[in-house]
Amino acid sequence: MQEITMLHYLFISMILFVIGILGIIFSKHVIKVLISIEFILTAVNLNFITFATFLDNANFEGYILSLFYVAIGAVELAVALYIFYLMYDKKKSENLDKYGDL
Amino acid sequence: MNGIFNPIVFYPSAVLMILFAVLAIKFKNIFYSLLSAIVVFFLAGFLFYVLGAEYNAVIQIAIYGVAVPVILGLAVMFTDLKKEDKTTSNKNSFYKILLLIFSIIFVFSLLFVISPYTFDYNFSNSVNSYDVISIFGEKLFKKYVLAFEFVSILLTMIIVGLILIKKDSKDFESEELCKK
Repeated sequence: MQEITMLHYLFISMILFVIGILGIIFSKHVIKVLISIEFILTAVNLNFITFATFLDNANFEGYILSLFYVAIGAVELAVALYIFYLMYDKKKSENLDKYGDL
Repeated sequence: MNGIFNPIVFYPSAVLMILFAVLAIKFKNIFYSLLSAIVVFFLAGFLFYVLGAEYNAVIQIAIYGVAVPVILGLAVMFTDLKKEDKTTSNKNSFYKILLLIFSIIFVFSLLFVISPYTFDYNFSNSVNSYDVISIFGEKLFKKYVLAFEFVSILLTMIIVGLILIKKDSKDFESEELCKK
């Protein structure tokens, strides 16, 4: 069986990224859109770590950047969920089509 | 064979990750998609571990695998679960097609970038021969200390900001009630 290279990890992160983008485009549920955004962030983290492991000669800069990305992702999720909570209070619906007047 | 280059480790976890990611988008019930997302985050943490980033794997599983789904589950509990997710509305279909075309172009450009013809894959690997955690801590508290502090300030600002927004909306509601 062929040995795994950096290309495989990059390819898998690209597929995860594309699934996230398609999820954002096609789903109407707010929580599903947030999950898709988290998929995108995970794919980016996987890219950072792959590059840091394979190319960054024992510096591990990508690991640190990935950690910051996790923190930013948590902040984004908190704000998005709070906006969702406020909007759901008004609209009584989780469908994104009804959130046009944000 | 090292775990990072081992196809028996890589292929099952990668295939399962993609499968559960697709299921998370496809499921009608939001709780099922949340459970699939948890599996995806855990498998991503496993791939981080295989790649040698143990600390990142722990962070990934603790935050994305446990904390984020708990918060999302709490948010789902606010909503009415009996209503179905209407994913097939025709509204804004022109923009959807436009976005789909752009995403296809984006995918092909990514494939072009990571293809072996455009990217040089002949390099020396540096796999996990160091104590990663100590290097991690040293970098975080020396080179990246300013960014680390900025992130902590950002998190504090978010907490205070969300409390202030809630307080403002409560004041606004009470004023509206007084006017009535």
